[in-house]
This record gives sequence, structure tokens and C-alpha cells, in this order.
Amino acid sequence: MAEPIVELRGVGKSFHEGDRERVVFRDASLSIDPGSWVFLFGRSGSGKSTLLNLVSGIDLPDRGEVMVDGASLSRLSERERTLFRRNHIGFVFQFYNLIPTLTVDENVLLPLELSGMLTPAGRRRAAELLDAVGLADRGRAFPDRLSGGEQQRVAVARALVHAPKLVLADEPTGNLDAETGHQVLDLFQRLLRPAGTTLVLVTHSGEVASLADRVLSIKDGVLVDAAGVPGAKA
Amino acid sequence: MILWRAGMRNVLRHPWLTVLAVLGVALGVAVVTAVDHANEAAQRAFRLAAETVAGRATHQVVGGPIGLDENLYRRIRVELRLRGSAPVVSGHLQLSGRTFQVIGIDPFAEPPLRSFSSRFTDRGVLTDLMTRPGTVLMLPETAAELGLKRGDSVPADSAGVRRELVLAGFLEPPDQVSRVALASVLICDIATAQELLGQVGRLSRIDLVLPEGEAEARALKEVRAVLPPGADIVTAGAKAGALDQMTRAFRLNLKALSLLALVVGMFLIYNTMTFSVVRRRRLIGMLRALGVSRREVFAMICAEALLIGIAGTVAGLAAGALLGSELTRLVTRTINDLYFVMEVRRVPLLPGALWKGALLGVAATLAATIPAALEATGAPPRAVLSRSQAESRHRKLLPLATCCGVLLIAAGCGLFLTERGGVVGGFIGLFAVIVGYTLLVPAAVMLLSALLRPVLELLLGSLGRMAARGVVVSLSRTGVATAALVVAVSAGIGVGIMVGGFRLTVQNWLANWLQADVYLTSADRGGGRYRPPLDPALVRRLSGLEGEAQVTLSRRVRIEGAAGATEVFSVQVPERTFLRYPFKEGDPARAWSGFHRGEAVLVSEPYSYRHHLHPGGSVTLRTSRGDRRFPVVGVIYDYGSDTGIVIMSRAGYVANFSDQSVDAMSFTAGKRVSVARLLELVRARAGGEQVTVVSNAQLRQATVEVFDRTFAITGVLRMLTMLVAFVGILSALMAMQVERARELAVLRAIGLTPGQVWGVVCGETVLIGLIAGLLSLPLGIAEALVLIYVVNLRSFGWTMQVAISPTQLGEAMLLAVTAAFLAGIYPSLRIARTSPALALKEEG
Amino acid sequence: MRRILISAAAAACAVLLMWYSWSALRPSGGTRQETLSVAQTLGGSAAAGYLRADKPRRFSFPADHGPHPGFRNEWWYFTGNLQAADGRRFGYQLTFFKTALTPAAVSRGSAWGTNEVYMAHFAVTDVAGEKYRFAERFSRAALGLAGAGGTPLAVRLEDWSAQQTSPRPWGVRLSAAEPDFALDFNLASIKPEILNGAGGLSRKGATPGNASYYYSIPRMATTGTLRIGKERFTVKGLSWLDREWSTSALEPDQVGWDWFALQLDDGRDLMFYQLRRRDGSSDPFSGGTLIAADGRARAVTRDEVQLEVVSWWESPVSGARYPSTWRLRIPSQGIALEVVPRLADQELLTAFRYWEGAVEVRGLDGSPSGSGYLEMTGYLGAAAENKGPLR
Repeated sequence: MAEPIVELRGVGKSFHEGDRERVVFRDASLSIDPGSWVFLFGRSGSGKSTLLNLVSGIDLPDRGEVMVDGASLSRLSERERTLFRRNHIGFVFQFYNLIPTLTVDENVLLPLELSGMLTPAGRRRAAELLDAVGLADRGRAFPDRLSGGEQQRVAVARALVHAPKLVLADEPTGNLDAETGHQVLDLFQRLLRPAGTTLVLVTHSGEVASLADRVLSIKDGVLVDAAGVPGAKA
Repeated sequence: MILWRAGMRNVLRHPWLTVLAVLGVALGVAVVTAVDHANEAAQRAFRLAAETVAGRATHQVVGGPIGLDENLYRRIRVELRLRGSAPVVSGHLQLSGRTFQVIGIDPFAEPPLRSFSSRFTDRGVLTDLMTRPGTVLMLPETAAELGLKRGDSVPADSAGVRRELVLAGFLEPPDQVSRVALASVLICDIATAQELLGQVGRLSRIDLVLPEGEAEARALKEVRAVLPPGADIVTAGAKAGALDQMTRAFRLNLKALSLLALVVGMFLIYNTMTFSVVRRRRLIGMLRALGVSRREVFAMICAEALLIGIAGTVAGLAAGALLGSELTRLVTRTINDLYFVMEVRRVPLLPGALWKGALLGVAATLAATIPAALEATGAPPRAVLSRSQAESRHRKLLPLATCCGVLLIAAGCGLFLTERGGVVGGFIGLFAVIVGYTLLVPAAVMLLSALLRPVLELLLGSLGRMAARGVVVSLSRTGVATAALVVAVSAGIGVGIMVGGFRLTVQNWLANWLQADVYLTSADRGGGRYRPPLDPALVRRLSGLEGEAQVTLSRRVRIEGAAGATEVFSVQVPERTFLRYPFKEGDPARAWSGFHRGEAVLVSEPYSYRHHLHPGGSVTLRTSRGDRRFPVVGVIYDYGSDTGIVIMSRAGYVANFSDQSVDAMSFTAGKRVSVARLLELVRARAGGEQVTVVSNAQLRQATVEVFDRTFAITGVLRMLTMLVAFVGILSALMAMQVERARELAVLRAIGLTPGQVWGVVCGETVLIGLIAGLLSLPLGIAEALVLIYVVNLRSFGWTMQVAISPTQLGEAMLLAVTAAFLAGIYPSLRIARTSPALALKEEG
Repeated sequence: MRRILISAAAAACAVLLMWYSWSALRPSGGTRQETLSVAQTLGGSAAAGYLRADKPRRFSFPADHGPHPGFRNEWWYFTGNLQAADGRRFGYQLTFFKTALTPAAVSRGSAWGTNEVYMAHFAVTDVAGEKYRFAERFSRAALGLAGAGGTPLAVRLEDWSAQQTSPRPWGVRLSAAEPDFALDFNLASIKPEILNGAGGLSRKGATPGNASYYYSIPRMATTGTLRIGKERFTVKGLSWLDREWSTSALEPDQVGWDWFALQLDDGRDLMFYQLRRRDGSSDPFSGGTLIAADGRARAVTRDEVQLEVVSWWESPVSGARYPSTWRLRIPSQGIALEVVPRLADQELLTAFRYWEGAVEVRGLDGSPSGSGYLEMTGYLGAAAENKGPLR
């Protein structure tokens, strides 16, 4: 088996809220193989988003190590982590988080620009992706003219445009009705699987679990395999 | 650059906020540029005029109050063979309501000297100039303004006499510099100038071009040997420098006021930019999550600020140029009233002032942005997404800011205690106190809003509580906005108290100083502080009134000396009047006998301050019999001159300066005549002469008018600073409320009426205004005290009374609250009008 | 002679010059054009109110050595050739021009008020040093800065002066100093005052009144000191005084003149002026006076004189092309001479530019036969006119 694309080793992370300390991870370990889809279930506030932040290098663990694609994020500088993120990771948020002042086209092209891939080939890929998510004709619209589902489809296109090895999705369907949610997952299916892109998806909806290679949840600051899902390990 | 597009579109998406930010920068830059321009223009015009008129002269031979004997010129030129010499007769005259400097030259002596030229296509011009009395040359532009053609004649007043001038031709300066310098200059033959100015037989000065080195020393020695007592040879630069020095304190005061406007403007920019960052916290978080680096975010914000800075600077420079010409007029008027006559017209935009303004505008914008940009980029990406954390971080800085504030205030006060800092030190101290105080503002806001919360609650119920809490919760913005308003309002209070106190002081002083009933002077105001002598026949005629009234003769002159010029005021004054002079030091009764005999002198307070002179010391004056020391027997209050004057009895003046002339007379009615009757008598005897006869009351009023005119520019600057502050508070509060659109929409959604929303918004802004007003009171009073006891004393040597009027304080409060209230209107209207659904849908 | 014209022209130019000179910042390059031509300066000037030289008058000396108010122009024109003990040769020119800006004196309160302006030229030719030095001054006749007194004569402009020392034979002391050169001479008449033209009335053109009163003292023994740089020379030689006063101006087509004042070794002196017309021909009013060794004078007409330019010199500064060597013949008097400048460059670059310098007189065989002064005007004017109108 190939080298894991994401690996957490004994990660600890807690937050200060006023005088209280809230422990999110006590000793979390995880290893994700390239191309596999890992879904993370849990209640609100259980630390699902924190995991994504740790994996993306937005946050650093208090203890332990986060390895992504062979690189230890804690050993990178803030700038290096930012560059790593822009080049290797695609993000899909619950609230779409499109840049309101940029058009649909520009939103999709932004990651390409950031990673210096704003080539004709890149632009073609962006156009193909927009076509694939069914919004080829809305390229010039601003995000606030789109419905929630449309915005999230743009967000998916944006997350994939620079062909990241790893896509992180934070409740991508949480804000959408069931049908629209399905459409978005369908897009993941169509666009990620063939390319062998790794997906880490945070959700609280059990319905989507069937699409995952592996399902995890957080219990007492430790990542555990949710029951009944093949391939999970402690 | 897609990333940059995101930032720039953001600027355009909120045009009002952008416009206000631009306006803030523009106003700050405009005020600074305008003041700078006015100062520079006045200074430059003066220097240019002095230089153009002095030409390449290296030295000038100058005389006492009555100038030089014209035969001295022949001795220097023919006997000493100094061919680089030229006689000059200069003075002022009034023509069509404008003051012109008359420069009489001998064209045949000129070639090596002056830089302005006139080209004649026919030789008739010189013939006219030399042989026709009253012929002058002026710039064609000036002639066009006066509606004069060549050959036209026009009446002009000088030395109390009306004469006909004839425009013989035009000056054609070789360049723009000379053109500016000559705008209010009339050139004529030296004979004509002597006749026009009543200086027949006398020269104002002799310009010399001396070679350098040993030959210069030899020439100087030779010239000194032939100089009569009372005459002196000075370097050409010295004179211009002395006049420059004279207005330095005045110009510095203006500059400080303009900087205050910029400081307020900077607050405004800081506020706007912080706000623009805070508002986009989410956006920045998203970008950071997408992999935009800190440096890129920083650059984006700075670029945005730069754009606003440049736009504001350009607008500010344009406005500054317009404002500048108006301020130039005010500055010139003040200088004319206080120092010397100078006309500044058609001053082209000074590149220096523009560059300074531009640099200041852009640099101030960037400097004010950096804290905001750092804040946006300093926090980790995840934290950027949350706002309450930024607020709590701010609150953690609060003790530190408060400490710094206290330290700064202490440092500023330290500067007031040491005399060595001079005026500049005084201003630095003042600015330290102001900045220190602003650092205390956030803490004070928390304290005051806590104190005011029950009041608001009482008035507005839970909405009031919400408003009060809103102020505290968003302290990072309200603090700065409040600080800006505090600075501006306190400046208004401080300057207002200072000017008011000054005015009162001057009025009191006038009551002591002007004791006679009727005053008569030459109507000619051309010479600024110095008036031409009255016709001796008139003086004799009016002295005949002795019997009906007590007549006093006086003369005010400038005595050039080794250490610069001294203003000497000589007056023939009865003991009774003398004893009532406003003495600051010395005993009038004991001073009288020495003063009366002309052996001892009084000095004014500024003179005493500047020269560290007190009773017991002495003043050295260059009399017509050489240098003489006069003991000082008293220091009196005088607000007529900030360089100070020396007061001497007329007997002493006549004996020491060989000048019998009189430029003013005053009359105190005897028992048998009323003041009105005396006024009639004096007017009747004055006849058709060009003199001004005024009563005591009229003169007092005129003096106070001059005072008010002098401070007009201060008033304008004060208003401009307030305007900047107003825009500042408007934009800060508006921005704050716009950010809260979502929150307010929620309130609307849960059932608040538009009126109630208005109540919350306006309650909050009014609370800020109220707090700012309250906080500005102590600072304003402190500023007034510093202005009076430190800055004014060090600048002008004047002490003045402090008069704090409650109305003034009340007005300042009202202004702060009104500004804040007005600032709340637009956002609340906007929010009340928009449907909550739309606001809710809009992404934060 | 025709210096009447110089005087008038120069005074008018002076006026222009002073104003020009004010302009230190003026861009350079225009200098040449600013120099006026004689004809332009004098052309058509109104003479109303001035006295005119329109009838013969009685001359009386020494009174007539003094100024003649009422006329527009008057001058005292001293030139001479001198030699130091070691044989080193010098030439000098010291001339005072008086111009009345208005016909009548003005009455003003100020002592500076006057209608009279003085100009003076002072030049020294250092033949061995091959250097020509000149200076120019202006002043109003006021406050003792400049002026002329009558009997005894005392004419001065600042510290340049000519003052009578003895009435008969008439003697005068000349004194002038510049930083670089100075003179202090005593002059004593060897020959009496010679009236030129018709008893002193010298007509210059066909227009009545275009004439001057003109007399000369062709030979004055000269001794004194001359300072060149830091060197002092004791010199002696001969001077020539020309005196002329008038109000007249040139005829429109007269563009300049060539004036000769020659002191011949045989004791004779010759003054001759040739007025040149625009077309290059010499004007019929050209003429002169030949003074015998015993002081008797006879008029010389244009037709008696044959003048020929042998060589030319072009000024490197003004660009004017002046005749250099002349050949002059008066067959009826047995005169056949070559007039050769002692220095080629004796051009006065003053407000009014002209060539005036010491000359050597030779026989046609090259034998030395006298010395004198030559004045040439109107050469630059013609050049300037060809270049178009002046500013």
C-alpha cells in the first residue's frame, strides 16, 4: 500500500473559552490512504471542523504531528503552510464561502491564480468544471445572484479547479435541501473518484455514509471508526 | 489579478464608506496643503519681493528713521569709486484701494544690480520716466487689473497726500519669479519716488554689490568710514532674514493648527481602514483558507488604502489649492496687520506645498492603515473568522494603552516645564498630551458608557441598554471614532478659549493704553505699522488746540541696529497719563522722571521676554549720534507687536534721532469742551489733509476689529478641523452601523419597528457624541492653558487672561452630539428602509 | 564730426541698454540684434523745441568750450596717439556725450530731477600689448554725478573728467580710471580752435537744420601717465579735440560714416568725413578741413578727395565687417596716404557699437608720415538691417 496521504500521530488540541478549557482532541491518530474517501460524523461542537483545520494547516495541534502528503505541517512556517494549502488542498464549506466581490468565473479561477496555474489549460479546466457542475452559463454572475445549491456547486468547482490531491469538505450539504445535497455529492462522485482524489468530508447526516470508504467519529478526543463501516481502524 | 479585483470591488460596493474615507483624507490634506501654501506663499512672496528688489546687491547701506542723505550716494559712488552701487527710494502708496510698493531707482546706476528688466521699443519711455513727474512703470497684468492703459493717469495716496500718477510704460520681467514678485510694485525714477513719498533729499537705502574676499573687507571699511552716525551697512540677506524671523512664530502656529487637522484626518483614515478590515473579517478568513498568504492579504489592504489615499490626496490637493488662495489672503492680512506690508497676488501653486501635501496624504493613509492591515493578517486564519475575539484582544490592550497615555501626558507636561524647548517644544508637548489623552479615551468610553447606561435605560428602556452595550462591545471602532471627535472638539474648545481670553486681554489693555479722546493719524496705511509723518504745518495748526485739549504727539519708527531692527515708539505724554500705563514691572512713579527727560525707556512685555530685559537692564539703540544705552525703567503690557517695542519720551527721541516729525496726535478734551466738540474742532483744523480722525471708542473698536481679523484664519482652521472630525465620526458610525445591518435586520425580523431601530442606532451614536463631548472638555481646557501659558508666551511673549465661558463649553458639547446624531441618521434610515429579509440574506 | 550722430545714437541706445542690462536673467543670444543701427536710432526723431544749428554763429573762446543748453546733443571728444620713453605706442579716446531728453530744463522738487543725461566712453589701445580696452558710463546730470561747467570748462561723469587748466593757450587735464586701465594727462593746444564747415556751421544733409556747430583743436601736446593693468607708463604725444553740438539727425538714407583725424608729420592736420548712403555711395555732404602747420585752415570737399578701401576686418564678436586699411588721396594738396589701424580690433562693444581707433599714417611707399584716429560706423547697422527688423 502506498504512503498515507494524511496521517495524524497523537494529536492533542484544546481551546480556551473564557476561563474554561475545552479539549477537542486528546490523542487522535489517523491514517488516510490516497484516493480514499473518509467521512467524519459527529455532533455539533465535537471537533469535526477542528480536524479539517488541522489537516489544512489553518490550525496547528498543541501536541502530536499532522502529516499531509509526507510533509509535517507543524514544521512548516505559516507562509509555507499557506502555500501548501493553496497548491494541494481544495476546500468546500457549509456556507459556500464564495468571494462575494468576484464573479462565478473569477471565484473558480482564483485558486489557479494563487498557485500560478492561470494558463489557457487551466482556464479550459475551469470552464469544463463549471460545465460539469451545470453552471457554464452563469460564469459572469456574482454569487449573491445564485441559489444555495448553485453556490455550493461553484464552491465544488473552485475546490477542484487546481486538481488538488486532497479535498476537504465541511458539511457541504448541511445548508442544502436533500435533493440539492444529493446533486453536490453526485458531483463529488463524478469528479473526484475518476481522478482518485482523496476526500475528507465532515457531516452529521448519516445518509451519505454509504458513499464513504471509511467513516469516523470523535469520541472523548479520540478518532474512532464508526460501527459497520468497512476499512475502519482504531 | 483576480485577488486584487476582489479587494477593489469591495471599495466600489460600499461607495458611501469609500467616499467618506476619501473625503477624510482629502480634508486633512487640503487643510495642511492650504496652510502650507499660504505660509509659503506669504514667505516666498516676501522673500522674492525683497530679492527681486534688492537684486544682486550683496550689502545695503541703511539709515535711521529718516533714511539717508542722498549725498552719501555720491560719496560712495564717485569718491569711493564703488561702481556697484545704486540708490533706492522706496515706500508704499495706495492706488485704487491696493497697496503698492514704490521703488525709485536711478536707471543709470542700475546695470550691475537688478534682475528685472523693461524693454522699450521706443526711447520715449525713459524720457517720460525721467522728465515727467509722477510717471511709473508696472506689470501689464497689474495695469489690466486696474484698467489702465499706457499714458493714463490715476490718483494715488501717499504720505497723506494725493498725487496723480502717469503710467509711462510696462515692466517686462524676464521670468515668472520676477513677475510674481513685481505684481504689486511700481518702478519709477528716483526723483519721482522722492517726490511721491515725500522723501526729497533722502534715500531709503543704497544697494551695493561688493566683491568677495579681501576687496570686500576693504570696501566695507571704506564705506563705514564715510557713514554718518545712525547709518549702517548690512548684508542684503540680513534684512530679509530678520523679517522672516519676525513672522516665524506666527507661521509655526498656523502649521501646528493645520497638523492638528491632519492628525484628526489620520484618525479618520485609521478608523475607515480598520473598519474595512473588520467588516471583511470573514472574507479575509475565506481567502486565507483558500491559501492566500498573509503577505498577499496585507498587500491587498495596503493597496486599497493606497487607492483611497491617492484619491483623497488628489482631491485634497485640488481643494487645498483653492483653499490656499483664500488662506493666503487671510495670512497676508494678518501679516500686514501685525508685521509689515506685503501684497501677495497671483501666487502660482507651489510645487513644494503640493509635494508635501501629497506625501503627507499618502503616507498618513498608509501609516493609519498598517495597524488595521496587521490586525487582519496577524491573526491565524481561523481566528480571523471570528470577531468577538478581535474585540477581546482590543480590550486586553486597554490597560497598556491607558498606561502609554498617562506616560505621554506626563512627558508632554515635562516639555512645558523646560523653557529650552521653545515654541516647537511647546507644540510637541501639546501633541504628546493630545495623543496621550486619546489613548485614555477607550478606557474612558467604557467607564462613561457604564455610567450612562442607567440613564439611557431610563430613557429608552432595554433599547437604551442595548445602545450602551453596543458602544462598549464594538470598542475597537467606537474608541477610535470617539478619540477623533475628542481631539477635534477639544481643539475647538482650546483655541476658542485662547482667542477669547486674548481678546478680553486686549480689550482691557486698550482701556488702559488709549486714554485720550480723539486720535489723528495720517490716512495712509501703506507703511503697515509705520505711518508717514504728518505735514508739520498741520501739526502746528493742531497744536494750537492746546487750551481746549491736551495734545500729545507721537512717532513710531524702526531703528536698524547691529542686532536687527527695533521698533521705537516715542510719545509726548503728561505724567497723569503715564502713571496709568499698564505696567507689568517697574514703578510708574519712579520711572517717570527718567522717562520724561528722555534718558530712560520703557519696553513692552514681548520685548522684555525676548531680550530677557527687566527694569535695571538697558537697551542699546543706534541714534543719530551713534550707539547709546538707555536704562529700562519699566515693562508694560502691549499687544500691538509681538517683536516688542521700546517706548521713549518725545523729548528723548527728538534729541537722539534728529527727527522732529510726528505721525500721530491725540487730544484729551479739557473741562470746557465735550468730546464731540473736540472731534469737530480737530476735523475742522485738519481741513482737506489726508488724515484720519477718530474718537477713542472708534479706535478701540477698530483695534478689536484688527484683532478679530488677525484671528480669522485661526477660526477658519478650527472650523476645518471640526469638519474633518465631523466627517470622521460620520464615516465611523456609518460604517459601524452598516456592519451591523445583519444584526439590525434580525432585530427588525423579531419585531422592532423602524422607529425603534432608529432609536437604537441614534441612541448609540448620540451616546458616543455625548461621551466625546464630555471627554473633550478637560482636554480642551488643558489645550487652552498650554496655548496661553506655553505656546503664546514662547511665540509672542504675551501673557493673557484665561476666560472659560460656559457657553463655549456648551457649544462644543452640542456640536459633538449633533455631529454624532447626524451620523446616525443615514444608517438608521437605510436600515429602516431595507427589508429585513434582504439584509438577512446578505452575507456578512 | 559725425560723432554728433554717435552721441545722439548712443544716448538713445544708452537708454535702451540700461534697461536691457537690468535683465541679468535674460537668455543670452539676443545681444547682437539688440545693438541698434545708427539710422534706426536717429531716424525721424522729433526735434521740436530744441535749438537748431541752422545759421552761422560767432564763436567765442574759452566760453564755447563749455556746454550749450537748448541743443539736443553735445560732446567733448578727445583722442590721441602717445608714446612711452621706451617707444611703446598707445592710443586713447576719452569722450563725453551730453543729451538733453527734453528741450527745456525741468523744474523738480527732487535734486535727481533733470533732463540731461551724460554718457562717456573711455578706451586705450595698447599697441605692443595688442590689447584694446574700453569702458562706458552713463549718468544723469544731477547731484554732482555728472555735468559740465562753462568757463573754465569742467566736464565730468563721476570720476572721469576734463578740466581746463589754462585759458590761452587752452589747456585741459584729462582724468579717467577703470580697474584695469587709467589715464591722467595734461593737454596744451599747439594749434588754435579750427572752425569746420562754413565758419563752424557744418551741414550734414539737405534738410535745413540737419547740421551742427563744429570746431576742432587738431593738435594738443599731451603728457601724463597711463596705467595698463598694474603697469604705469609716462607718455607723451599728440591729442585731437573735437567739439560739436546740434539737434540734427541723419538723413533717412545715410547709414553711417567714416571719419579721419590725421596729424601729419609735415605739420599739417586733416579732418575728413565720408557720409555713406544706403546704396554704398558717399554722400555729397561729406567733407573736411585741412589745417596748415601755421594753423590756417581750408575746407576740403568730397570731390577733392579720393577714398579707397584696401583691406577689411571682420569683428569676431559683432560680426560687422569694417574697412581696415584705407588709401586717401587729395591730389590738389599733394596728399597720398595709407591709413593703417595700429590694432585691427579697436571696436567699442558698447550700447552703440562702432570702430574707433588709433591709426598710423604712411606714404604710399610705406614711409611713416603721421598718426591719427579713425572712426567707422554703420557697418553693423547695415548687417543688422539685412537680418530683419530689430526688436
